[in-house]
Amino acid sequence: MTFRRSVTESLVPIEARQPSRIWRRIRVSTITLLIATFYIASWQLAQVDLRRLVSGLPRLAYWLSKAWPPELDDLRLIMQRMAETISMAALGTTLASILAIPTAIMASRNITPAPSLYRPVRLFLSILRGIDSFVFALLFVAAVGLGPFAGVLGVGLHTWGSAAKLMADQIETLPLAPLEAAETTGAGRTTAIVYALLPEIGPIVLSVSLFWWEFNVRASTVLGVVGAGGIGQELKNSMDLLDFRRLFTIIAIIVIVVSIVDQLSGWLRARLS
Amino acid sequence: MTPDAGFSETPLPPTSPTILHVEGLCKSFGGRTIIKDVSFNIQEGEFVAVLGPSGAGKTTLFRCMASLIAPSQGRVVVFDTCPRDIKTRKRRQIAVVFQQFNLIGRRSALGNVLAGRLGYVPAWRGLTGHFSRDDRLWALQCLDRVGLLAHSERRADTLSGGQQQRVAIARAIAQRPAIVLADEPVASLDPQTGRSVLDLLRGICENERVAVVCSLHQVHLARAYADRVIGLANGNVVTDVRVAAFDKTSFNRIYGDASGGDLGSVDFAE
Repeated sequence: MTFRRSVTESLVPIEARQPSRIWRRIRVSTITLLIATFYIASWQLAQVDLRRLVSGLPRLAYWLSKAWPPELDDLRLIMQRMAETISMAALGTTLASILAIPTAIMASRNITPAPSLYRPVRLFLSILRGIDSFVFALLFVAAVGLGPFAGVLGVGLHTWGSAAKLMADQIETLPLAPLEAAETTGAGRTTAIVYALLPEIGPIVLSVSLFWWEFNVRASTVLGVVGAGGIGQELKNSMDLLDFRRLFTIIAIIVIVVSIVDQLSGWLRARLS
Repeated sequence: MTPDAGFSETPLPPTSPTILHVEGLCKSFGGRTIIKDVSFNIQEGEFVAVLGPSGAGKTTLFRCMASLIAPSQGRVVVFDTCPRDIKTRKRRQIAVVFQQFNLIGRRSALGNVLAGRLGYVPAWRGLTGHFSRDDRLWALQCLDRVGLLAHSERRADTLSGGQQQRVAIARAIAQRPAIVLADEPVASLDPQTGRSVLDLLRGICENERVAVVCSLHQVHLARAYADRVIGLANGNVVTDVRVAAFDKTSFNRIYGDASGGDLGSVDFAE
């Protein structure tokens, strides 16, 4: 095929900008080397030892054989602990959502009433998000004592940061044209934001809160391990006593309840959109 | 209604009070000047079409007039006050109709028209969405005016483009404005729907003596609906005439001699 001179000449500067072949090879091998080093180091640090896995697996199988039939004597207590876990997640998430609404608005670049606070609020939220519910629960058990209340506070603080960030990220994608239109009617800034954007923000808040409630039911099943109440406490007791039949019951109940909550929350969120 | 009938030959008396006064308006974005020293007056009850090719600065001019953006130089005065200097509440005198309608998608048609009352009611009513019976009746009457009374409870995002623009006009009427600024109100609509929207704007102009400033792409629509044509090219006002005086010369000033695309449908009376 032949091309017009002006066409072939246009390609010259484009080709000139591309790195040379040798340079490209150096780059590819450096990247490969870096990735390989990262995985080798991780393997060492995580103390991966396949021999221990091989010797440990039969032990797991033996426990599993001992776990049948599940023990149902303590079913009432276990259900009560599961209910504690769900309440802990629900209260913690509700507390977090209430705190998240104003902070999410402050952390949304497009509608924040105080642009100077945008960065500090975002930083505050990322600190909350960086500390897991588990770690917060550990601190609150020391501060307010054993029991699910410490769990509520732990879940609440971590979820506040996480939910507010998710909400803010979604609010930042909202079209602002309706807000502009509301402002031209002579409404004050706050009134215009509430009237024009609340119908859009409402479903975002509900959907994010449901997601985090579902997530927190799962996350709170282990909070009992650090003494913050709920099903995790029974989980730890049974494990300590190597009572595998009871352990089996507990894990089965967690799986059932978590799947029901997943389905329910998924169905509700689908109905919102 | 036949829009051509009569009114174009009877210019408004010059004694009509000035509603909107644009004076030496300039607007630049990052060193690029979009609007250069634009000045004109809009009188009560006047229908003014703003014509100009894409990129002439029509939208920037409208956004300055609606005080959605601040001019770089010059000023926009509504009655005797500069909207950017006065409280937001006074903005209710200027209603804006947008090319993309800008309705609140998840609110009903009625809820969107009630937004036109936000500049009148106390803040708590706007915040709770709880409007008085009189306001709701007035909003319904505005919807009736644009032929959408039956759709008052429909969510705005389920309405067609033409219906949405009519809701936006109802919102503008609900505001009881002195002037309506319509930026390309028919550019997203098919020709027939576009005409019905312009009929509505012409109607409020004639019946309520509300001034209407409307930017358009089609010269024949400007000639059919407007009393006066302001032509914009490269950010300058290149023509400002009564519609009867809008001729080939004015057309060429706006679009340049070379353009002929739209001219085919325009029948100039010599």
